[in-house]
Amino acid sequence: MGKPTVGIFGLTGCAGDQLVILNCEDRLLDLVALIDIRDFLMASSDNNTQCPLDVALVEGAVLTTRDAETLRAVRKRSKILVALGTCAVWGGVAAMDRGTDRGKLLDEVYGERGWEYDSYPAQALHEIVKVDLNISGCPIEKEHFIGTVASLLNGDLPVFPEYPVCTECRMRENNCLLIERGEICCGPMTAAGCNARCPELRVPCVGCRGPVRDANGTALQDLFAERGFDKQTIAARLRTFAPLGGF
Amino acid sequence: MSTIVIEHLARVEGHGGISVELEGDTVTNVRFDIFEGSRLLEPLVRGKRYDEVAPVLSRICSICSAAHTLTSLKATEDAFGIHVSPQTELLRELMFRGESIESHALHVFLLAVPDYLNYPSATAMAADKPAAVLLGLRLKKLGNQIQEAIGGRAVHPVNAVVGGFGRVPTVDQLIGLRSSLLQAAADEDTVIDLIASLPATDFCHSDTFFAALRSPSHDSYYGGDEVMVMSNGNRAIVRAPDYRSLTNERSVPHSHAKHSTFKGNPFMVGSLARLTVNPRRLTGKLAVAMKRFKLQLPSDNPMDNNKAQALELINDLERSLEIIEHLLRDGIKDERAMSVHPRAGTGSAITEAPRGLLIHSYTYNEEGRIVSADVLTPTSLNAASIELHLRRAVEQCVDRDEATLTKRLQMIARAYDPCISCSVHLVRK
Repeated sequence: MGKPTVGIFGLTGCAGDQLVILNCEDRLLDLVALIDIRDFLMASSDNNTQCPLDVALVEGAVLTTRDAETLRAVRKRSKILVALGTCAVWGGVAAMDRGTDRGKLLDEVYGERGWEYDSYPAQALHEIVKVDLNISGCPIEKEHFIGTVASLLNGDLPVFPEYPVCTECRMRENNCLLIERGEICCGPMTAAGCNARCPELRVPCVGCRGPVRDANGTALQDLFAERGFDKQTIAARLRTFAPLGGF
Repeated sequence: MSTIVIEHLARVEGHGGISVELEGDTVTNVRFDIFEGSRLLEPLVRGKRYDEVAPVLSRICSICSAAHTLTSLKATEDAFGIHVSPQTELLRELMFRGESIESHALHVFLLAVPDYLNYPSATAMAADKPAAVLLGLRLKKLGNQIQEAIGGRAVHPVNAVVGGFGRVPTVDQLIGLRSSLLQAAADEDTVIDLIASLPATDFCHSDTFFAALRSPSHDSYYGGDEVMVMSNGNRAIVRAPDYRSLTNERSVPHSHAKHSTFKGNPFMVGSLARLTVNPRRLTGKLAVAMKRFKLQLPSDNPMDNNKAQALELINDLERSLEIIEHLLRDGIKDERAMSVHPRAGTGSAITEAPRGLLIHSYTYNEEGRIVSADVLTPTSLNAASIELHLRRAVEQCVDRDEATLTKRLQMIARAYDPCISCSVHLVRK
């Protein structure tokens, strides 16, 4: 069997997840040798934009008609479609206030010609097409990307933590920022996998990996309220990266 | 009428294209199209508390995420009257250097050099010329190591907060970085040899305005609050609070970025502009390298930006080592971030992101929530200049062979190292 054909695509976003792939510096050339990358516009000007793909990795959220068309076309030519990063999985920062009037925002940024622009409220990939695998994170963790490639090469699917950041934070024996220091830390409802990077640095979790499975948002809201945070602050904090997470 | 269209620019960050219209031999229209979707992040931070602003606006762009984070913090601290410690300033400067090393190594060796040597990508180039690719990857990794040690993460740093850092790096981390930087010294010569050996790119000449941060220490990315605009020996200074006078933005239908001009003139920001405005750093090894690159300042060739990035890469490596030795000599103190007392008012910050001037300006209410936010990014500042230089390249191409032109236009756009995600976020005032 030949090497699996792979495409790497970016919709609207910061390109951070594609950058994480390029950041696999030591292992990049080895990785590239195991797969057949046919379409990767950020890294190559020689791309096959039509060929069937075994795996498509798609980063970013859907914000334009063009994004939606690209995504549908990628879905059509791919066996496995992987949502890469929090924007692709959850909508990400651009989706935080999907309820806000788009016309007003466009008018504010671009003036009265704003309506001419092709721009819609941010949507996650699964709202448009079927997604086979989610790799969350803003950006994704390098090890998760490498692990995913390794799993897929072996005909398997990767397994990511289904517990919250707090579990990792406790395993690192940190003092609790929320309970002991009264800071607004989203660890209890955020999916682990970052090894509690932020609380380890005494910085509260902002929830960039999106909600953990079965997150109890209501309980966390009550806990924040008990600590004296007002509704606006709590809502803003919980919605920053994943508006679809139940808030 | 004939048209040349480059549908989707490859090997750049984000989604953009180029189109050129010709009427006989006359160039009638040149457009640098940007069709990256608009995430409208500035209005989305309205109402956010001061500690949430940098984590959101960092997401404007991954490759410049340290610059966006630190510029955001600088603007918020300006609004609240916070003066961070000298150690914090040094660590922030080091973070900027790390980002610049990563970004320049990625751009020069993995995205731009393949053009000069006629390869479609770095991976294709790696098959024949692995040394250049491995050099790029090695330096890129070093830049990321610095960003990870100081910022907590290579993309979207988490450790830099309003008033300082969550946790300062340990002595062991600094010693580790020092030894990596010492090892990289040999690579500096390889960079110079490689860049000096590239074929000349002599297909676009134009009088150019340059704009860059004029920093007190004459080559800082982070310190300072004045911009100098230079052209043909004329100079103008713009201070941070007056940054709007630097730009005269207009919305253009083909682009999600606005176009900026200074007194009606497009201007270039980035490495070439920085070296032109702050030439005092070009001594020693850099002066020798500059001679070997046949680079003269001010330059009228935008392709020289690639050479300027290579020079900055060397300077960034040297300067990072100096900062780390300074920190180790003085002893790194476990400083906590300063306490924050929000107040109503406006704060503006200007820095140098890898691709050029970056400006964040915020107005806060008395609770420390954002009333309005405004971000000006290097690629949006460069957009008008990119179009001007694309036009010159077409005008100066004698035979107008389409394949040649297409390649040259892409090389010029790429020489600016455009970061298109960044460019689509501008607030009208």
